[in-house]
Amino acid sequence: MASNPMQQFSVHKIGPEIKIAGIDLSFTNASLFMVISASIILLFLFLGTKEKKIVPNKIQLIAEMFYTFVAKMISDTAGSKAKPYFPFIFSLFMFVLFCNMVGMLPYSFTVTSHIIVTLIMALFIFIAVTLIGFAKHGFKYLSIFVPSGVPAVLLPLITVIEIISYLSRPVSLSVRLFANMMAGHTMLKVFGGFVISLGLLGGWLPLGFSIALTGLEILVAFLQAYVFAILTCIYLNDALNLHH
Amino acid sequence: MNKYFGFIIALIATQNNLFAAEAGMPQLDPKYWASQAFWLILVFTILYISIAKFYLPKIKNNLDTRENRIKDDLEDANKFKELSESKLKEYEKILDDAKKEVIKIHIESKNTLDKDIKTKKETIEKEIEKEIVKAQKEMSDLKKNSLKDVQKISENIASNIIETISGDKLNESSIKATVEDISKKNLGKYL
Repeated sequence: MASNPMQQFSVHKIGPEIKIAGIDLSFTNASLFMVISASIILLFLFLGTKEKKIVPNKIQLIAEMFYTFVAKMISDTAGSKAKPYFPFIFSLFMFVLFCNMVGMLPYSFTVTSHIIVTLIMALFIFIAVTLIGFAKHGFKYLSIFVPSGVPAVLLPLITVIEIISYLSRPVSLSVRLFANMMAGHTMLKVFGGFVISLGLLGGWLPLGFSIALTGLEILVAFLQAYVFAILTCIYLNDALNLHH
Repeated sequence: MNKYFGFIIALIATQNNLFAAEAGMPQLDPKYWASQAFWLILVFTILYISIAKFYLPKIKNNLDTRENRIKDDLEDANKFKELSESKLKEYEKILDDAKKEVIKIHIESKNTLDKDIKTKKETIEKEIEKEIVKAQKEMSDLKKNSLKDVQKISENIASNIIETISGDKLNESSIKATVEDISKKNLGKYL
């Protein structure tokens, strides 16, 4: 079923089956591409920090640009209080970005196109942010559901809406990334299939689309990593600085 | 309608596994969810620890070093600029002082020269006056002496003439008195 556009998302195990306490934890192609993405990040950072030059070389400059990019993103959205969480946001951004980018390579696997992966990350962020909020502000953190300056008549309704929107954060965060990656890759595959089925005569149009979509998908890959990281920063900001 | 709907739901429910795995979305197949979660947590934890412990401090350190270096260099540059400005001021001051000194020396030397010339002129004038006085005195002395000599000579001449004419020696004192008398009478004409 090579022409099935969903085939690319199927997970199959590589090597021996690993079962711990009856749960199948086998090494799969998804795990492989997680390891590859993480290895590329670590290699890149290793090369970027190998030489400590006052005037940086290219790879050092890129590593430093990533650093300042994420640092600026955090300080702009969450302020100086979010500094302890900088390594986490940086790792998260780099991981999502590199998983998305590695997924753009032909014959590769997109780790972030799986809802379970994005959901675990989003749930972790949601739970961590909630815990941080309660740890910093105690029960006052619940005032996040009661915005100031709202007429008393609307307050019950607004509070319910706020609670729903707060609880839907992990869902929206995970589904946004997963759906974007899956849709983009499916579309690429579908257009790729059209190139084959329309042959030499009609295949050029979907091929052009495919090329254009590849550019778009690279943009989406970066953008979704950025959105994922910046939304994490915004949630963190809500927990650190109670604005309501 | 409701029957058909229920039938379809039941069909999907029974065929779900096949649907999800084969024709539908492999993402919804829970077979490898545990594995994915496990490997994700493992890989991300390792990534997070190595980034937080090794790489970010390194990058931060390097960025700080660079920032400090730039700051230091800028400070040094400012310091040197101030130093050069103060040196320039010093130089200008020295130049001004030198100019003032030149003017002062010029005036002083002019003054001393003027003074010198004045004193020298004065002494020379005095000397000249002295000389003039001396010369006048000498002249008057000479005049007096010459008068006496003239008297004597005229006495001699008179006595000689009288002797020659009369052959007699006349009394010298009378001749002298006569000559004196005449010369006194005529002296005013020459002096």
